[in-house]
Amino acid sequence: MNSVFVIVLGIIVYYLGLQLYAKYYDRKVIQTDPKRATPARLYADGVDFMPTSKNILFGYQFKSIAGAAPVLGPIIAIKWGWLPGLLWILLGTFFIGWIQDYTSAVISMRNDGKTFGGISYTLISPRTRIILLSFIYFYLLLIAAAFSNVVATFMANNPNIPFSIIFLAIAGVAVGFLIYHGRINLAIVTIIGLLIFYVTLFLGNDLPLALANPSANKILWLIFALVFSFLGSVLPIWVFVQPVNYLGFYIILFGMIGAILGIIVGHPNLKAPAFTSFNAEGLPLWPILFVTIACGAISGWHSNVSSTGTSRQLEKDTDARVVTAGAMFLEMILALIALIIVSVTTAKAPWHALFGQGMGEIFSYIGLPRGWGNAYGPVMIVVLAITILHLVIRFMRIATNELLGKKIPALRNPILGTGVALILSFFLVYTGTFNYIWVLFGSANQLMASLALLIASIWLVSQKKPTRFTFYPMIFMYLTTMSALIYTSISVLRQAITGLDLTGKQLTTSSIIGNYFAGGIGLILFVAAIILAYDGMKAFLKYKKVTSEQVTSTQVKESYK
Amino acid sequence: MNEKKRGFFKTIKEFVYGMAAHDTARFALKTRGSMEHLFILITMGDMLGIPILPPYYSLRILPYCVPQISTWKRRMLREKDFTDTLA
Repeated sequence: MNSVFVIVLGIIVYYLGLQLYAKYYDRKVIQTDPKRATPARLYADGVDFMPTSKNILFGYQFKSIAGAAPVLGPIIAIKWGWLPGLLWILLGTFFIGWIQDYTSAVISMRNDGKTFGGISYTLISPRTRIILLSFIYFYLLLIAAAFSNVVATFMANNPNIPFSIIFLAIAGVAVGFLIYHGRINLAIVTIIGLLIFYVTLFLGNDLPLALANPSANKILWLIFALVFSFLGSVLPIWVFVQPVNYLGFYIILFGMIGAILGIIVGHPNLKAPAFTSFNAEGLPLWPILFVTIACGAISGWHSNVSSTGTSRQLEKDTDARVVTAGAMFLEMILALIALIIVSVTTAKAPWHALFGQGMGEIFSYIGLPRGWGNAYGPVMIVVLAITILHLVIRFMRIATNELLGKKIPALRNPILGTGVALILSFFLVYTGTFNYIWVLFGSANQLMASLALLIASIWLVSQKKPTRFTFYPMIFMYLTTMSALIYTSISVLRQAITGLDLTGKQLTTSSIIGNYFAGGIGLILFVAAIILAYDGMKAFLKYKKVTSEQVTSTQVKESYK
Repeated sequence: MNEKKRGFFKTIKEFVYGMAAHDTARFALKTRGSMEHLFILITMGDMLGIPILPPYYSLRILPYCVPQISTWKRRMLREKDFTDTLA
């Protein structure tokens, strides 16, 4: 198949989804009203609630949801061939992805800008909120482990890129300083920062940074990723996180522009096999593919972004569809581009080298040297992963403080709180295997999505609105992700108990401990999801029984008792 | 036609700004807003039941705080959890 056809297919799905299906859903179910006051306008406090233009919010939402996962998912899933990934990205986004994002934002808007914690407390039960927050904590841990693993893997396998990544951090700090203290024009500062990065990327070819021992090399870059995140977590946000992410944005943007131009100019055919097998590298297509490609099709992370940041900034009720659903469909296009990049190369390379090979191929169509693409691809992945990683660690530090700060006052200290997050992430990556960590992360992420759809269905039924658009996708996602979670947990725990991996090779002691740890986290998430689903379904059925038109949470709480 | 063209470029500009700098600008505004709310808390905290004896100077600044009092009270009393920090 020609790559341009894939993009055209994506644009058709974008149009049909946003202009037809989303509008139909809006009219039939959500019934938005431009005159309805949104929390951003009603409670504008200059802190949490700020009305913002829909175009700005569209960019904000897209940037917040499109991290490394929509790019990495299709790369890892290419082992099943490009066709299963393509179908899941298109159909998953069309039938499930955008509905989750959009409904999450709307629920939060109609509940005074509450987050899912508060909404689940009101709609379901107090216990649900505690379990949901604990679930989110473990989910964050898996994001941190998966992304730090990605950074370490790409930096260890591409010794020409660490030099530029180190200088990205230095340039970021310099940019922050020049903006806030130097008061220098933003455009000039941006150009200086980007110049530093691109010059060091160019010099990186002659200055490879790597240790001779491959495993020690990976640990070195893992520690680098975690130190990077430590700085991001404990330093003031404007000193490190924001300027680094700001520069990172342009690096990604230029890479994506180059990739899109290359695809249009070269319009290459997809050379990777369309389909390989139902069981690739010991992992079954169902359910593992559906959790491997997360963000490009549907992702629980989006529901968190939609129900916190975006819902409190939407100026009009009617903006929600374009902002949330529109950003989801755009992310689908991003995932399709990543799928094309890894499919246009015939190189037989491991997954972490495929993206660079593909970028080299695509860049060659617009006259750029292949070597640039080979280096730029991994750089893009590292920048995407690291910009999310230090935010997640920062978030985990706050979560550790909130959840455990009262019982263990020492954890209120930012350095100790960050330390807990980093030690857990390091332990998981050091002792675990990438495939399992990614699948566990994907499962937790997709499970979060199904829980968001469950909360959406409960809210819709409480409002006497049709629930079929969210309920059936929720059932599919819940069954798929629970299957993936239990499959992975059992597989990992079995390996820990027998001491042998899938190929029958003896595991090291650290791997055995790691497998117990990863399997344990999987089981905790599994049990938490069962309790959440039980409570959720109970509330769903209770709301369904309530016949009064004026359904209030108090009434349901009483009937719930 | 020119209007349309201008509108298109404005949309693109806002979209890029939203991706590149909106969260930074918003964070700066949030920091300023939280500082103001903290200031109101330590001067007018008695309005929320915090045992602060309002000094004379609190009354002097009261007229400047009045426009913010309702949103400040709401924000202070709103139930929060750690997912709020994502916003």
